[in-house]
Amino acid sequence: MTPRLAAVLLAVVLAAAPAAAQDIVLDPRVFEIGRELRCPTCVAESVSESNAAIAQEMRQLIQEQLADGRDRQEILGFFQDRYGDWILLSPPRRGVLLVVWLLPIAAAIAGAFALVFWMRRWRAAAEAVAPASEEDLARVRAALARTDAAPDPTPPSPRP
Amino acid sequence: MGLSLGTVGSAATAIALGLAVYAVVVGALGAVRRDARLQTSARFTALAVFLAATTAIVVMQAALLTDDFSVKYVAEHSRIDSPTWVKVVTMWAALEGSVLLWAWLLTGYTAVLALTTANHALRPWALVVMQVVQVFFLGVVAIVANPFIVLANPPLDGPGANPLLQNHWMMAVHPVLMYLGFVGLTVPFAFAMAALITRRPGTEWMQLTRRWTLAGWGFLTIGKIAGGWWSYEVLGWGGYWAWDPVENVSLMPWLTATAFIHSVQVQERRRMLKSWNLLLIVLTFSLTILGTFLTRSGVVSSVHAFGDGPVGPVFLGFFVFVALGSLGLVAWRWDQVRDRAELDAAVSREGAFLLVNVLFLALTFMVLIGTLFPLVVEAVNGARVTVGAPFFDVVSLPMWMLVLFLMGIGPLLPWRRADHQTLARNLTWMTGGAALAAATGLAFGLREVYPLLTIGLAGWNLVSIGLLLAGAVVPRARLTGRGLGATTWRYAFEQRRKVGSMIVHFGVVVIALGITGSSGYRTDVQLRLPYGERVAFAEYELQAVAPFSERGPGRLSVGVEVAVFEGGRQVDVLRPHINAFGTSSMTVPTAAVRYRPGHDLYLSVAGAVDPSADGVIIRVIRSPLVTWIWIGAVILAFGTVWTLVPARARSVPAIVDAGQRANA
Amino acid sequence: MRRVAWVVAVVGGLTALFVFGLLRGAPDRNVPSNLLNRPVPTFALPLYERYFAAFGPRLDLAEHAGRPMVINFWASWCGPCYVEAPHLEAAHRRYGDRVLFVGVQTQERDARAAGRAFIERFDFTFPNVIDDDSRVSISYGLFGVPETFFVRSDGTLAYKHVGPVDARVMTQQVEALLR
Repeated sequence: MTPRLAAVLLAVVLAAAPAAAQDIVLDPRVFEIGRELRCPTCVAESVSESNAAIAQEMRQLIQEQLADGRDRQEILGFFQDRYGDWILLSPPRRGVLLVVWLLPIAAAIAGAFALVFWMRRWRAAAEAVAPASEEDLARVRAALARTDAAPDPTPPSPRP
Repeated sequence: MGLSLGTVGSAATAIALGLAVYAVVVGALGAVRRDARLQTSARFTALAVFLAATTAIVVMQAALLTDDFSVKYVAEHSRIDSPTWVKVVTMWAALEGSVLLWAWLLTGYTAVLALTTANHALRPWALVVMQVVQVFFLGVVAIVANPFIVLANPPLDGPGANPLLQNHWMMAVHPVLMYLGFVGLTVPFAFAMAALITRRPGTEWMQLTRRWTLAGWGFLTIGKIAGGWWSYEVLGWGGYWAWDPVENVSLMPWLTATAFIHSVQVQERRRMLKSWNLLLIVLTFSLTILGTFLTRSGVVSSVHAFGDGPVGPVFLGFFVFVALGSLGLVAWRWDQVRDRAELDAAVSREGAFLLVNVLFLALTFMVLIGTLFPLVVEAVNGARVTVGAPFFDVVSLPMWMLVLFLMGIGPLLPWRRADHQTLARNLTWMTGGAALAAATGLAFGLREVYPLLTIGLAGWNLVSIGLLLAGAVVPRARLTGRGLGATTWRYAFEQRRKVGSMIVHFGVVVIALGITGSSGYRTDVQLRLPYGERVAFAEYELQAVAPFSERGPGRLSVGVEVAVFEGGRQVDVLRPHINAFGTSSMTVPTAAVRYRPGHDLYLSVAGAVDPSADGVIIRVIRSPLVTWIWIGAVILAFGTVWTLVPARARSVPAIVDAGQRANA
Repeated sequence: MRRVAWVVAVVGGLTALFVFGLLRGAPDRNVPSNLLNRPVPTFALPLYERYFAAFGPRLDLAEHAGRPMVINFWASWCGPCYVEAPHLEAAHRRYGDRVLFVGVQTQERDARAAGRAFIERFDFTFPNVIDDDSRVSISYGLFGVPETFFVRSDGTLAYKHVGPVDARVMTQQVEALLR
C-alpha cells in the first residue's frame, strides 16, 4: 500500500466520524434522492446510507434545495455538475454509458431468442421420429386384441 | 524451547500444502493408471491434510486467545481487551485468516468425501480436483499471505479487529455459512470435472453429489440472508442489500447454482440438458473464484473488500486457471456431452426448467456487467462512473417477477407435454388467486406496479402450492381411505423432495413479500428529539429520555434512551447508540430495532450524542413487513433440510390392498 | 475447437480488464475534477481573526480575480493535512507575492478552536477561511480532505491535487500557474 494511498484512506476513515449535531429535520424525500447519490468520501455507500460528515451535509443541502422548490432532476444535476457523473449511483444514459443500460435488454432479448431457437430445434428432433410402418401398426393391433381377450390377473398399480 | 506458536502454525500449513501436492500427484497417477493402491494413498492423504490444517486452525485460535502478539496476524488484528468471542472470530476478520478458514473447510469436505464416497470411477478424479483447489488455498496461506509469520519485536497490544466486524455476533455466523456454501458447491464441480475427464457425462456425477449440492446451496442462501440481516442491524440505514460489488459477486454463483439445482431434475428425468448442467456448475465454481479475486484484490470499490498487494495477482491467476481449465474442457467436450435432446412441447416441465436456466443466466449476466462496467469504462476512456443500486433494481426487477411467475406454474406442468384441459384449469385457479391477492392490495390503498405485481404473484404461488398438495394428497386419501390430515402428514414424510421444494418456494414467496413491503413502503426521516418532549412519527410518539454511555470489554458505547409510545401508552424503550472500539477512531452507529410482524421501528443516531445539548438527532425508519424476510429464510432453511433428510420408505402394501378392494 | 476459442477469448478479455484494474491500484480517490478548465466557484467566507488586519472579516474570492490562486481544503481531524501544512506555508512564503494562497477549513462544524490551533501550530501566514456548513467544499466537488486546487489567473482550474501535497508538487504546479 503506497503511503499516499494510506494517507488518503486515513482521511476517508476519519471523514466517517459523525459531524456535530445539526438542527435540521429531514423529510423523506431527502433520503429518496440521497439514495441516488454516492457519498463522496465513502467507499461505496449512498448519501442516504452513510453517516459520514459530508453525507450529512449533503442531506441538509438536499433538504434546503427541496425547500427552495427544486425537483429531483435539478438536485441530481447540481451534484453532477460539481462531481461529475461519478456521483450518480445510476449512470446517466448518454454516450458510452448507454451501453450498460442496453446490454441487459440485449441479454434478455438474446435469451428469449435463444430459448425459442432451442425449443424449435428440440421439437423438430422429437417430431423427426420416423412414422410407424403399416406392418408395425398391424402387429400392434393384433397384440392389443389378444390382451383385451384374456383377463388381466394383476391388480392395477396406481401411479405415484 | 524456542518453538513459538507462529513457527508451529507455519509448519502445519506447509505440511498441509506438501501433503496436498502429494495427494494431487499420487491421485492423478492413480486415476490415470487405475491403480487402486495409489488411489487409496491419495484418499488417506486427504485425511492427513485435514489434520494438518486443523492443527493450523487450533494454533491460530490459541495465539488469538492467549494474545500472542509474536504471531503477525494477531499483532495486526487482535487486541487484548477484546471480548473472547471477538478474538475467536478475528480469525476470519481479515484476509489471511479468511483464506485459512476457507482452506480448512475445504480440507474437511475433501476428507469426508475421500472416506465416505463409494468406490466409483469418478471418485479418483473428483478427489484430484478437490486437492488441486486445496493446493491453491493452502498455498496462499503457506506462501503468499502467511498469518503465522513470527515478528521479531512483537508489539504490546494490537489495534483490534475492524469495528464494523466487532459490532455484532453475526460476524461469527455469516462468513462461516458463506464459506460452507462455496466449499460445498466445490464438490459437484469436482465430480463434474471428473465426469468430463473420464468421459462419463451421464447422470452419475449429479446423483452422487445431489445432497452435497443442495446442502451447499442451502448454506449459501442462508448465509446471504444472514448477511442481509447483519447489514440491517449494523449499518444504521435500515437496509439489507445494497448491490455492493462484493455482494454482487457472491450473488452470481448463487444464481447459477439455483439454476443448476433445478436443471439437474431435467437430466434425472429425461436425460436432457446434460451440457447445460455441466456448464452451470462450472460457471458456479468459476464465478466463486472470480468472487474471491474481486473481494481480495481491491479492483472494485466496496465496503466489504479487504486486502491488496500480492494476493490480487495470485487470485487472478487461479481464476484464469479455473476458468480456462473448466470452461475450456466443457467447450472441448461439448459435442460428446450434448444429448439427443427431444422436447415434446414447449409448455412442459422441461420447457419451464429451460426458461429458468435462461432467466437466471440472464440475471447473472446483468449483475456481472453492472459490477464490472465502471472498470470497463475506466479502461476505455478513463472516465469514472458509478453503477449502483438504482441501476440493478431497475434492470433486475422484471426478471424477478418472471422468476416468481415460473415458480408458480413450473411445478404444475407435467413432463413431456401439458394436457391442455388440466393446464387451463390450473391456470384459472392460479389467476384467480393472483387477482384476489392483487385486489386485496388495491383495497389496502396500494397503487404502485411492482408491489401489486408481487402480491398478485404471491397469490399465484400460494394457489399453485395448494393445487400441488391437493393434487397429490386427495387421490392418496381416496385410495388409502385415510383422512386428509393423516395423508398429508404421511405424504410429507414420504415425498421429501416434492414437499421440501414446496416449503422452500413458500419461503421464497414470504421473502418476496417482505422485500416488497420494506423497500416499497418504508418511511425514512430524520427527527430532532428534544429531551423530555414527545415527537410524533407515524402511529408512534417518540421521547428522548436521557443520554447514556456504557463500557464493555474493548468498547465504549454512547447513546440515547428513547421511549416509544403508541396510543398514549409506553410500549417500548429503544437504545440506539454509537460504538467505539479500542483505539480506532472509526465509530459504528448501532441501531435499535423494534421487531414486529407488521413493521419494524428502527432508530439510529445521526450525528453525535452531545450530553450538553438539549436534544438529539435520530434517524427514524418505519419498515413494513421486513421481519418476514428473516421468517421466510427460516422456512426456506427448513424446507432445504426437509429435502435432504432421507425419506421414509413408501408404504406400498396398504395402497395395493386398497386397490384390490376397489377393484373387487 | 471454435467453442474453446470463444472461452479463451472471453476469459482473456476479462483477464486483460482485471490486469488493468490491478495496475491502476485502488479506485476512487483520484476521480478527475469536473471543474478542470472551467471557472472555479467563487465564495465569500469568514476569516480567522489573525487575518482581519490584512483582509477584513471576510475573504471574497471575487475581489482577487485576475491573480493565480492555490486553494487548499483541510480539516483539523485530518491526519495528512498536518503532513502537508509546512509545504503550503513554505510555498506561500516563496510565491505569495504573485499567487494568492487560501486555506479553507471544511467538513467540520463549530470547530473554531481546533481550527485556530491548527493555524497557529503551522503559523499559516496566508488567509484561512471557515466553511462551516461544507457548502463550498461541495461546490468544489470535494471527495475528502486534503485537496488542493491550482487556479489560473483567468479563474479556471488548472489542476486538482488529491491527498497531501509535497514540495515537488507545489513547485511544479505553482510554476505552471505562473507561466
